[in-house]
Amino acid sequence: MTIRSFLRHETILLLLLVIALIVLAQQSDRFFTTDNLLNQARLMAEVGLLALPMTFVIVTGGIDLSVGSIFGLAAILLGVFWHGLGLPLPLAMALAVLVGGIAGLGNGLIITRFNVPPLIATLATLALYRGLAEGISQARSVRGYPEWFFVLGQGEVLGLPTQLWFLLAIAIAAAIVLGLTTFGRTTYAIGANEVAARFSGLNVARTKLLIYTGSGLVAGLAAVIFVSRVSTTRSDMGTGLELDVITAVVLGGTSIFGGRGTIIGTLLGLILMQALKSGLALGGVKGDGTIVVIGVVLIAAILLGNLLSRNGDG
Amino acid sequence: MSFDVMQSRPSFPRRLLGFVEANGQEAIILAAIILLFVVVGVVNPRFLGNSNLTSIFSGNAYIAVAAIGMALVIISGNIDVSVGSLIGVLATIAGTLAVNGYPIIVCWLAPLAVGVAINAFVGFLVAYVRIPSIVVTLGMLSVLKGGLISATAGAWINNLPPEFMLAQFRPFGVPAPIYFMVTLTLLAALWMRYSGFGRTIYAIGGNPDAARVTGIRIERSIVCVFMIHGFFAGIAAVLFATQLQVIQSTVPPNLELTVITAAVVGGVSILGGTGTVIGSTLAAILFAAIGSALIFTNVSAYWLRAVQGLFILATVLADMARRRRLR
Amino acid sequence: MTAIVELRQVSKSFGNLKVLKDVSFDVQPGEVHALLGENGAGKSTLIKIISGVLHPDEGELRVVGEAVRLASPREARGRGIATVYQELLLFPELSVAENIYLGHAPRTRWGAIDWPKMRSGARALLDSLDSHDLDVDTKVGLLSVANRQRVEIAKALSQEARLLIMDEPTAALADSDARKLLTIVRRLRDRGVGIIYVSHRMQEIFALADRVTVLRDGAFIATKPIGEVTEGSLVSMMVGRSIDQLFPKTETARGATVLELRNVSHREIVRNVSLTLRAGEILGIAGLIGSGRTETALTIFGITPATSGEILVDGKPVVIDSPAAARALGIAYVPEDRGLQGLVKPQTIRENISLAIIDRLARLLLIDRRREGQLARESIARFGIRARGPEQLVRQLSGGNQQKVVLAKWIATEPRVLIMDEPTRGIDVGAKAEIHALMSKLAGQGLAVLMISSELPEVLGMSDRVLVMRGGAVVAEFDRADATPDAVGSAMTAAGQSSLEGAA
Repeated sequence: MTIRSFLRHETILLLLLVIALIVLAQQSDRFFTTDNLLNQARLMAEVGLLALPMTFVIVTGGIDLSVGSIFGLAAILLGVFWHGLGLPLPLAMALAVLVGGIAGLGNGLIITRFNVPPLIATLATLALYRGLAEGISQARSVRGYPEWFFVLGQGEVLGLPTQLWFLLAIAIAAAIVLGLTTFGRTTYAIGANEVAARFSGLNVARTKLLIYTGSGLVAGLAAVIFVSRVSTTRSDMGTGLELDVITAVVLGGTSIFGGRGTIIGTLLGLILMQALKSGLALGGVKGDGTIVVIGVVLIAAILLGNLLSRNGDG
Repeated sequence: MSFDVMQSRPSFPRRLLGFVEANGQEAIILAAIILLFVVVGVVNPRFLGNSNLTSIFSGNAYIAVAAIGMALVIISGNIDVSVGSLIGVLATIAGTLAVNGYPIIVCWLAPLAVGVAINAFVGFLVAYVRIPSIVVTLGMLSVLKGGLISATAGAWINNLPPEFMLAQFRPFGVPAPIYFMVTLTLLAALWMRYSGFGRTIYAIGGNPDAARVTGIRIERSIVCVFMIHGFFAGIAAVLFATQLQVIQSTVPPNLELTVITAAVVGGVSILGGTGTVIGSTLAAILFAAIGSALIFTNVSAYWLRAVQGLFILATVLADMARRRRLR
Repeated sequence: MTAIVELRQVSKSFGNLKVLKDVSFDVQPGEVHALLGENGAGKSTLIKIISGVLHPDEGELRVVGEAVRLASPREARGRGIATVYQELLLFPELSVAENIYLGHAPRTRWGAIDWPKMRSGARALLDSLDSHDLDVDTKVGLLSVANRQRVEIAKALSQEARLLIMDEPTAALADSDARKLLTIVRRLRDRGVGIIYVSHRMQEIFALADRVTVLRDGAFIATKPIGEVTEGSLVSMMVGRSIDQLFPKTETARGATVLELRNVSHREIVRNVSLTLRAGEILGIAGLIGSGRTETALTIFGITPATSGEILVDGKPVVIDSPAAARALGIAYVPEDRGLQGLVKPQTIRENISLAIIDRLARLLLIDRRREGQLARESIARFGIRARGPEQLVRQLSGGNQQKVVLAKWIATEPRVLIMDEPTRGIDVGAKAEIHALMSKLAGQGLAVLMISSELPEVLGMSDRVLVMRGGAVVAEFDRADATPDAVGSAMTAAGQSSLEGAA
């Protein structure tokens, strides 16, 4: 039953996606070019990376509003470690990712040790981590990264944008973990009934801790890729990013109440959202107009999900 | 107050505990504000200068006003992360109307009406369609923000008529926003205590199941709470729009977080069911003062948000500890 | 005299399950009418119909002679029907006075809440309930259960209730508080209030009730004046079939001691509990709600780890600080609240049954779906779970089949100790007998079973030995032969206290 209903949602998404692509191709002959498609893939990589662990987070019934701030903090610290402290760039990159992980671990500890609801815990750290980024950087940006560093965000490997490889690799790993392993099963059980999961001897706290830490780590990685793509570091990087991420996940069929969702769905949601953005851009809508659409899509996706699950209840 | 406590000797400790329980957060924040003013005033006397005090109290009154509505929303067990964008939109509406020569009273009232209408829709989605308020308002945040920027293309609104500048009026030498802040806070506090609906909000946030069995119409009440919140956002928007000669047509950065922080740190439990609007106003003043103090003590103001984050976190952790005791 | 409330031939179904069949029932003013029946007999449904939460499918509800359809609890209250719920529905953050008057607070001329009047009104109501020590300004969250209950009663009285429904009001009370409550109930009756009183405590019913009505499997059995019944006749009316049928207890050989507790405590809730449990035996724990029985189970299972004392498995001291640790030691717990603690309802039977051994089913972290499916199919056959197949969602199953899924999940862990907390709560009589048969069979295969139950017949019918708990401590132990309803019942409640301690 559950598998069938997942498939149903994903089939609808796939249909929507095909329609969107056809409409886009009709509207502009520039859309269906290899260059444009690869470029779109490059643009969606950061949101896509963050959406993978966010799928786990939302499947447990939680939410992580702080990913954008962790992203910004890691980006700033990359600049500080390399430019400010004079560390070798590879080490600075590793440390930036690590900082993301620590920030995520902080979320996890607040949530599991003190039983603070994830919404509130990550709302607080959203402010805290962004504040640290602002305080540390003092609104100064860092530029002048060496040429090799840009391979990550602007280069290609085997004909595909470098970051797309990261996205694919982590997506496959995430899909396997969520769909086929004990860890994934525990994740679903927590989201569907946390108490029963605990009473079945599953390690709820450790699972959540790992998920939030993973969310932070990936945010750190995405930040490094982003810095490489835009060649600079600023403290307001990733502001509002959580919106895109959550929208992609929810659009992909993950229930905001937990217990349901797949990585495939998230990827479809992500691509659909990027197609929308790109279509709007080609249609002459400016960047700010697209976030209106994302907001509407987020609400509409949940509305639709509510209606579908109500029908499927009987 | 303290006399009351002193007279009933036998239960003095219990009553004192009750008093601190009921008013502790407000008292602590008030003490923090006073301490801050004394310390920073000694370090840099200009901090206590007339112009700085005006800018702290008057310049941030709109945040305190918005925090009142936010407090109600949070007490009812919901949240609104879109209030900053809403204020930006409403301020731009007010300014646009003013520049186009509409009667001033229309320019002042239109934002209130639009704020109520928009939030009625938000409340409807939350209460009747049962979408969590965080999701609805996250969506609204981007709808409003994106809509505002694409509609105005980021252009500033200049040449506002002088009679429109409500926030610049100074009856009896005191800036108008301070009147608004004080009056609205007191009115809201009284209303929360003495109206049936005020108590209903606490009941819904405190124990929704019990509220339903008690016969409270939860859905309707939540829509009302959001509408009231929209009304306060409208007032905040007018104060915000009229305090400078231009309206920037953007959302004041991080306004929603500042407003939520004020409400939460002011003693509104983020899990709903408890809190007062006096606390949220005091907290709004405290943050304004901290922001100003950072400048006057030559600490970078870029640390302000980190301080806010720490405050929220500390308050939430204290609240969790308190709740554990209560159940 | 007109009855305050009268039900005529009322029926109610949930899906295919008929939970009330042609039940008639009435309450007169100034009467305490006790409502009896086993769990699942239809008592709560009846109460919910009278209090406006549910609507009857057939039949008629009359309030003071007038046929009505109560649309909501609010309307029921408007007609003077108030309920003191088992799980008290109060607002922890609001004061006592506010809780009492929420929704109908006294107003001043301008429509504002009249706080002084509200506080003095609350004071007067509490005084009339002999609760002079209860401060009207305290937050309800800080009160004890007994005091919260008084607030609930005061709340009902503040709305001028003519009928008060009390659902297991003494279940969670200490003895002195329970006695005080009985006094309050009598006083209300003398004022002309009609009272529906649901309780498992026979002594209370004989001390309090004017009439008693028995329900069984949703059907009306009898309404009798209290003078015409005895404890024995009530029990046989409630159970309705011979004990042997319902409790297929087989004698088994008792093996070595598997689990031993030595002076185990958890905070103030579990106090110095010592017990031994042997292979092949069913040890029953009787006690009222809040007596520490479930709490002891939770301590053994590692949810609330022991704060002092010693737990031994196979004679070796062990530390159990999590359910995972308990599981590793071969301890399984079929919990009290099936829906909340036992099942992941939106998931399939397969996923639920494998939940506790999911790491054992994994090879290189990947779950072996073939073995998982096989386990589910075997369990469905072995436990007689009536379902379309392993992929059916658990929430679509009946209570009895859901309980079998929980049992299957834990038996899959191959435990040596099985704790069953309220094993047959809320399931129909047929499924009850099946669960009992399974329990008996498992014990016969050498499993050590610790069974906790509120239903005395179940404890007496299934146990080889019976422990009685009160106030967090074990207060008595009986062998199967000595465990009579009288002896066990009086050890559970206050009345037996003096005689027991006198005998000791």
